[in-house]
Amino acid sequence: MVRLTLDRVTFWYPATKAPALRDVSLDVAAGEVVALVGTVGAGTSTLLLVAADLAPRVIGGRLEGRVHFEAPEEASGGRRIVLPTPWTQVSGMAFTVWDEVAFGPANLGWSREEIARHVDRALAKLGIAHLASREPAALSGGELQRVMIAGILAMDPGLLLLDEPTAELDPAGARILWQLVRELARGGAGVLVATSDSDAIPEFADRVIWLELGRVAAAGAPALVADEALCAAELGTTVADTWRMAGLAAPYPATVADAVRRWPAR
Amino acid sequence: MRRLHPFTLLAIAGALPALAWTLPAPWGGLATAVLAFALTLTPGASPRLPVFRTALVTAAPFWVFLLLLHDVASTVAIGLRITTMVASFVWLMAALAPSRLVEAMVAAGWGASVAYLFAATLSAVPLLRARARRIVDAQRCRGLSPRGGVASRLRALRALALPLVLSALHEVDERALALETRGLVPGVRRTPLAPPPDSALQRIGRWGLVTVCAAALVWRVTWSG
Amino acid sequence: MAGSLTPALRLETVSFSYGVVRALVDVSLALAPGERVALLGRNGAGKSTLMRLITGLIQPAGGTVWVGDWDTRHRTPEALARSGRVGCVFQHAEQQLFGRTVRDDVSFGPRVAGVPAPEATRRVERALRALELERHAEEHPYDLPPAFRKLAALAGAFALEPALLVLDEPTSGLDRALRMRVTRALLERSVAGVTVLVITHDLTFAAETVERALVLDSGRLMLDGPLPALLGDAARLESLGLALPPVAALSAALGLPGRPTRQVDAARALARVAAGRPVP
Repeated sequence: MVRLTLDRVTFWYPATKAPALRDVSLDVAAGEVVALVGTVGAGTSTLLLVAADLAPRVIGGRLEGRVHFEAPEEASGGRRIVLPTPWTQVSGMAFTVWDEVAFGPANLGWSREEIARHVDRALAKLGIAHLASREPAALSGGELQRVMIAGILAMDPGLLLLDEPTAELDPAGARILWQLVRELARGGAGVLVATSDSDAIPEFADRVIWLELGRVAAAGAPALVADEALCAAELGTTVADTWRMAGLAAPYPATVADAVRRWPAR
Repeated sequence: MRRLHPFTLLAIAGALPALAWTLPAPWGGLATAVLAFALTLTPGASPRLPVFRTALVTAAPFWVFLLLLHDVASTVAIGLRITTMVASFVWLMAALAPSRLVEAMVAAGWGASVAYLFAATLSAVPLLRARARRIVDAQRCRGLSPRGGVASRLRALRALALPLVLSALHEVDERALALETRGLVPGVRRTPLAPPPDSALQRIGRWGLVTVCAAALVWRVTWSG
Repeated sequence: MAGSLTPALRLETVSFSYGVVRALVDVSLALAPGERVALLGRNGAGKSTLMRLITGLIQPAGGTVWVGDWDTRHRTPEALARSGRVGCVFQHAEQQLFGRTVRDDVSFGPRVAGVPAPEATRRVERALRALELERHAEEHPYDLPPAFRKLAALAGAFALEPALLVLDEPTSGLDRALRMRVTRALLERSVAGVTVLVITHDLTFAAETVERALVLDSGRLMLDGPLPALLGDAARLESLGLALPPVAALSAALGLPGRPTRQVDAARALARVAAGRPVP
């Protein structure tokens, strides 16, 4: 089974005195979607880089504590991250979207048949099969973001790390993505996703972790996004925040459906 | 021409300038320059006329500088050689798809990251050009005029070049992370997706070009040096 | 300068094509001084083309674009910006910064527009204050997180103090606290008489910030009316490729009186109904 464990991790970027992560412990198991929330600069992106084994291995810096990742032998893809800005992730080596998505799988040395199967499936999952023969440089931000996500999915990751995956998507595209995240977890993958779209979290997350200044401020069930403290930090859902603003008693409803259940007919 | 194997394209683009500099001036340089410009008009180097024009426009300033520094005879001699280099390179940029070069290098047994490094240099040009256009648009909407006197042109250049370089540098780290996570690590054995078809004829042609260049060099050194 | 009766922006049957692809077809609209308007629509609906027309980067194939009292056909983008008629921020504005500090970059616009130094300084300070960037004013833009770089680019347009602000996806990449900061800054500009046009997918932000909606679909202006009315019509939203934002959904689901679409209004209605008081 795939499992990522961070045990009391503190991380410093190169040439900095203050750590970007402080004493962070968490684990993500197969079949589970964990949402990371925090204000800009709270450390969610850093945490994903550590989880992806890119920090400190590739970007340098110093890490204390323990990061442990276990995957069965056949989990070919291991752990893979989708970064928030799609245009920095394009390989620049592909004239078509299909080849761009195949870039990762080809680097894994798979057979051509296997690559084709994975690429076609990833394109279909993201709803971009119609873009297959388009040139990546000519795509819109939203289309490109979907292509980059497909490029990672095609590598069949055991643990998928997503950093603001809906930043470039329109609402319809975002909804499709959150459904896909759920579907991947059902298929046995572990997913850790940093998002500022609190309103969507109750739809797709099994657990929520709140980071504040590099520390885990709270962790728990998705209902955490309706928590009073989280709302005070501007991280709660719009419904919970509206409830709080109205001065109604906690616990707040997280979603419109929760609110309807809580609201006696008047 | 685009259908030729990437190595064949490289061989042609390398052989023409090599011959231009070894064969006696001005006829050697004239012949290679004519050949290079003929290449820019071959089908496949699409769109054809702009490629021809780019080659012409890029080569022109060199002639001006040469005329200022040399007499007419040397200007013609060196100018034709430089023109051959410029036109061959412009043609290569138009005819050679970086992705095909990577595929060819991978199929020939090169490491994927070495091949990538080589091809990324080629593919950076159109990406940077697109971004430069976006930045110029944004700066004009902030009131920057790309026209006017020397001072305002210098200011315009700064407003274009600085964000271009700064944002590119800033993104280098992120690009490295993205490539790493997509499996482009040193020593990886990449599957060639669609290795460009090669042929015995093309292989013979490539070796033929190398032999001709070597022969020209030997001839120049021993007989007419 | 344009008088208060002249619209800040007026389009008369404007059309534009990229080759055979018709990007805009007979679009007519007018924005009054101080109005706050959202330009909505699916990807590829023609929103970016409209923005390029307003800024003078492209010229209409048919019809006329008036920015204040100027026909863009005879003007360059830099002249439009320098004259204080329009200031705009493109989607990936965080890539356009080049000042040594945030303040230096924000002051670029007023400087090239030839605003006298003391006045330019005042404008820069106002812009930095409006987006609460004073704390970062002396930092190098590329040392800041992308979200703050984006705010710095917005401040650059604010510092031009134009009669019309056009912003493309100003909230992408911002968290909620920063989105609210942008809303506050835009409301403040609007009170000062500035017309605000935002292109956005973020209907929550739009509901908090603007009063009027323009919806483009396949290059045609399909809707021009009050945003709250549009947000109250779920079926219409769906047909235009838009999704109901949470506050409007909550108001509808709970049957809140007046169907408020802004969060403060919904909270007020909730509190009143919960306390058993009538809602005015």
